[in-house]
Amino acid sequence: MNERRESVLAGITADNAVLSGLMVISPVIICGDTIKNAQALIWAFSIITFLSVLISSFVPKGLPYTVKVITYALISSTVYVPVRAAADIFYPDAIQRIGIYFPLLAVNSLIVFQTEAKFFRMGRLRMTASLFFYILGFDAVMLITALVRELLAYGTINSRIADVDMLISGLKEPFGGFILLGLMCGLYRKLRSVMSRGGSSAEEGDANVSGK
Amino acid sequence: MQMYLVNDIIAFLAANMILSQALGTSSLFIAAHSRKNLVGTAFCILLFTTFGTACAYIIDSALPASAAEFRLLLYTAAVSVFYIVLLTLLYSAMPQAHEKFRRYIHLSAFNCAVMGTLFTMSEKADGDSSLRSFGEYVRFGAEAGLGFIAAALILTAAYRKLNSNRVPKSFRGGPAMLIYLGIISMAVWSLK
Repeated sequence: MNERRESVLAGITADNAVLSGLMVISPVIICGDTIKNAQALIWAFSIITFLSVLISSFVPKGLPYTVKVITYALISSTVYVPVRAAADIFYPDAIQRIGIYFPLLAVNSLIVFQTEAKFFRMGRLRMTASLFFYILGFDAVMLITALVRELLAYGTINSRIADVDMLISGLKEPFGGFILLGLMCGLYRKLRSVMSRGGSSAEEGDANVSGK
Repeated sequence: MQMYLVNDIIAFLAANMILSQALGTSSLFIAAHSRKNLVGTAFCILLFTTFGTACAYIIDSALPASAAEFRLLLYTAAVSVFYIVLLTLLYSAMPQAHEKFRRYIHLSAFNCAVMGTLFTMSEKADGDSSLRSFGEYVRFGAEAGLGFIAAALILTAAYRKLNSNRVPKSFRGGPAMLIYLGIISMAVWSLK
């Protein structure tokens, strides 16, 4: 029972899409420098990913892999259309700033490739719960990254001036995003290994992520 | 002459999609894993970015500005067609190579580096109408693909060290590679 609960919660606890899987990292690195950007990205990512994976789960499993991948990409690109129209109404400024990263959210690897490897091996109810936590995991990373970068790079929190003595302007640049995300990945692994009983095995689990 | 060459190299690195826009970073990690992966992934991404931008030109020319939200759907459809054609051609012409290379084709098709290249070029052409030509689109696509190869070579050079036992376990692999890319990106940014 515990194992089942853990696997549903994996998106946050053990297998965070960004910090462990290194998926969907470009929007976090480039656009995750203010909370306003983060809010727009979180909203768009959550809706597009949730609906796309849910609709994609009805695609017949017997189809060839290539056809399935194309179908998933086309489904998410279709879901993007109304989400984009709604975002133009609710987040017009943020959409301008996010630019090309907004449509790129729709063809993220969590939808196009990981659906086969992770979600479609589960029952629909368990898949929905697991997907919810994977999305929540991305949202949390996006928000934390944006909070840290906005505070240290601009000296504000959600556009309100905060009392920060020293600003690190480089954090708003892409290289600042790369370095901060690298540090967060390392910290996440360390925390995970400390919290898990089998300590070092968790660290080694995705030490060689490129070999995936 | 040497100065021109240095300037060209700096301009090429500064425009690099990975170092300046973080596009295709996850695939880069896979490409840098081995020489075989580097050649396979880089070649497929180069094909997809070049063909993709050619299709993007046709789509952008035909699509009215009021229907911009359908651009992603049309780009995805164009890439999908090329994806199927490439796999079919490879299978019928070289079945053995198909077994070896299909993994890289799957990896490259809906990659952020590919889709990001199409959207970046489209955005550039929206801002500067002189760029809205077939030649400019294809040139940009090929340059983006070559930029991916350059970034993959830079990462390959340090790959073993970043995955060695001398790196703390928590940072070994992915986190170390992100920090390394951040440092390279900072160096390129300072040259701009």
